Amino acid sequence: MKSLLTIIVLVVALFSQPLKAITKAENVKAFTLKNGMKIMVLEDHSIPNANMYLFWKVGSRNEYPGITGLSHFFEHMMFNGAKKYGPKMFDRTMEASGGSNNAYTTENLTVYTNWFPVSAIETIFDLEADRIANLAIDTQMVESERGVVTSERSTGLENSNYRSISEEVKNAAFRAHPYSWSVIGHQSDIDNWSLEDLKQYHKTYYAPNNAVVVISGDVTVEQVKRLAKQYFEPIPAQPAPRKVHTIEPEQNGERRVYLQKKSVTTPNVLMAYHVPETQHHDYYALEILNDILSTGDSSRLQKTLINEKQVASSVFSYQPESIDPNLFYIYAVAAKDVSAAQLEKAIIGEINNIIKNGVTEQELQKVKNTKLVNFYRQMATINGKANTIGSYEMYFGDYKKLFTAPQEYSKVSITDVQKVAKTYLKKANRTVGVLSAKEDSNDADL
Amino acid sequence: MRIFNYLFLLSISVFSVASVANYTLPSYEKFTLDNGLTVYLMEQTEVPLIDISVVIKAGAIEDGEQAGLNYFTARNLTLGTQLLDKSTLDQTIDFVGADVFSTANLEFITVGASLASKDSQKVLPIFRDMVTAPRFDRAEFDKLKQRHILNLQQGKERPSSVINNYFNRLVFGEQGYGAVVKGDSKSIQDLTLEQLKQHYSNWYQPKNSAVIVVGDFDSKQMKQQLSDLFSSWKNTLELSATKVESSDKAKQSKLLLVNKPDARQSTFLIGGKGITQNNTNRVGLSVINTILGARFTSWLNDELRVNAGLTYGARSRFSAYSQDGSFAISTFTKTETTIEAIDLALKTYARLWEKGIDEQTLTSAKAYVKGQFPPQFETSTELASLLVNMYGYQFDESYINTFEQQVDSLTIEKTKQLIKQYFPQENLQFVVIGQADAIRDKLAKYGDITEVNINDVGFNTK
Repeated sequence: MKSLLTIIVLVVALFSQPLKAITKAENVKAFTLKNGMKIMVLEDHSIPNANMYLFWKVGSRNEYPGITGLSHFFEHMMFNGAKKYGPKMFDRTMEASGGSNNAYTTENLTVYTNWFPVSAIETIFDLEADRIANLAIDTQMVESERGVVTSERSTGLENSNYRSISEEVKNAAFRAHPYSWSVIGHQSDIDNWSLEDLKQYHKTYYAPNNAVVVISGDVTVEQVKRLAKQYFEPIPAQPAPRKVHTIEPEQNGERRVYLQKKSVTTPNVLMAYHVPETQHHDYYALEILNDILSTGDSSRLQKTLINEKQVASSVFSYQPESIDPNLFYIYAVAAKDVSAAQLEKAIIGEINNIIKNGVTEQELQKVKNTKLVNFYRQMATINGKANTIGSYEMYFGDYKKLFTAPQEYSKVSITDVQKVAKTYLKKANRTVGVLSAKEDSNDADL
Repeated sequence: MRIFNYLFLLSISVFSVASVANYTLPSYEKFTLDNGLTVYLMEQTEVPLIDISVVIKAGAIEDGEQAGLNYFTARNLTLGTQLLDKSTLDQTIDFVGADVFSTANLEFITVGASLASKDSQKVLPIFRDMVTAPRFDRAEFDKLKQRHILNLQQGKERPSSVINNYFNRLVFGEQGYGAVVKGDSKSIQDLTLEQLKQHYSNWYQPKNSAVIVVGDFDSKQMKQQLSDLFSSWKNTLELSATKVESSDKAKQSKLLLVNKPDARQSTFLIGGKGITQNNTNRVGLSVINTILGARFTSWLNDELRVNAGLTYGARSRFSAYSQDGSFAISTFTKTETTIEAIDLALKTYARLWEKGIDEQTLTSAKAYVKGQFPPQFETSTELASLLVNMYGYQFDESYINTFEQQVDSLTIEKTKQLIKQYFPQENLQFVVIGQADAIRDKLAKYGDITEVNINDVGFNTK
């Protein structure tokens, strides 16, 4: 686990090559139940296993001060007992039938994943239907789960510098939108949310009309349809949740944050620039810019900062898939005896170089080639398929966009890449976070 | 996320694998070239990708006084070939979306590449040169050395990334499987390019190596291509691999306290000696370990996480090597509940002997390990990695092909015997990383305490 933000599997492109057994749009069979739950099925008979991925449109963006972290906490509570299968029985039943599970929460979504031998499929439907329709929120389980989540929060901060500094940067970059807080939430909220908060959350967000289900593996479409109608269709729909209407005001000047952590060996710098949501037309050019900046040893930041100037020991950039406008991140760890200021200057130098001189056709082609090979890698497993299809449905509004992404990427020119760099990666639009062992004070202060 | 991923489990490779009805390893060809190089070919055509690996039988157990020698030599292979400098190599590999890597573990070195099938004529010759004609450029060597030293220091920021090094030292001593694969900041500083070159010429020989190719290709053509590429690779001198003697079992309980003054939690391992890779009871032991600490409803996770809310996750694992192995329980908890968590872990572990395993739990665990098996060998990458381990640790596919049978044949009686024989019960070894001042006094009850500071160079346990 890298972080709760699911540091992304960037899925992408099918270009124009002949694609053998590679999945095509028509292989995905989609249908919607009467209660509004959308289900997608992809048959794949390569192993006698299948999975079920349930994507719920609820994440930290649906929270507000006082209940920060509740989406993630709820993810845990979904395993703690329902009507037919009481406390502990969800996992016990699933594991005894050969299945296993996990779940993750992001700023936008909560995703539940079940992996099982196909013989167990009806049990999986039964278990899921029970907790969706009839979750029993037991007070004792809530208390013990607060401890678990506190430990999850601490171990993340203890073992990941990125976690520590990203909390500060997000908080400074967003002053209005709920992307401001971390997915795990504030400790005081974890300690204090009430049973009533939890009940309300389940009723509002765990409604079938707020979910997309993907099943991939050694199943048939008919079998899935029959089971979905039997187990999921009787669950009643609910009124649509309140819209997240907050728009982050435009940022018109650089913001800076500093965090001291004594065990940090060399300074870490995290820069974040506001960028549009995933469905915006600039998404594809930003994605390509992201790869040109930091994917592979020959990428701009890796080659220049790590190998040539030797100011960084590691560097990456990424933009999360996102329902609302979010951030484009660049993260670097300084080389020995290099200050945060030197490192920051070197990163900005590379960005300014692109803004001024653009990128090359060769770099653009490299990224397109890489996206194709990564697409194959993604589609090599039934889990990669399910996760990709579901993510496209949620973030791009339609899973079919997965199969038209190639055209979208092929339309991007080197001018477009330069243009998005110029539009978004500018000083007034960025937040800079520095994580360092040194105290943020010295004799010259005051 | 709901379940913690135990990164250090990656090192145990295929041990935790289980099997399902009728699953057998896909067919593959194995043969030897005239120079002694072993070749494995397995066709997998679902996606147009190829995974290729070269395994060289030399690992950290051969490092001797030069900790990190094998790992660091391997890492230098991707820094350019005699034909291509680093920058040209990176550019060429990245342009076609291929990935290359090189690494070492305690027993062997792996150099690997993942590529689109259509690029095999372009990428494989470069890959071959990385293995047989590395550049060993001085400037690149120096740069990687400085970065690696810094990475070793940064590793100490994260208890989870270093705790296994301390534990191995405690269980195996300083030599053999107590070797620290990546070395330490001093040992790496002392390495010279000449030493790397010498080490390379001693160990990187075809008779000591295998090339493994899995993916979308035609075996006949691939055979020809590999023969063209690798036949000219020459053997040099005789090899004398170190025989690792199985070390003695601990004669007393010891506790290594690693002080990390800014820690907000304690991270700990408890265990002792385990089993070898070719132990004939590996499968049965993995079923028992699943019950103890290798699934969500395992005893350890149920007690420490679900019932007590002390931690995000608690587990147990065997790490098996060709001549020896270890067993450990692992978890973490906030500083204030350190003793409570260790006591509960020990109490839960004792159930293996006190109550033993009941029929219902055994049946459930059998279903679980069988059901979770096939996805572990779904992709070319996973299958290549399995073949790498089969060659590197010297076991064959009967382990895979008879897995289900072995799982099914496990009885309650047999579990009792295996628990008695293989799970360490006495003289347990402890490593605790945390805020020493807050926990030191209360830890004394577990054994003789040795205290070190996490920022000390290397992984001293004395």
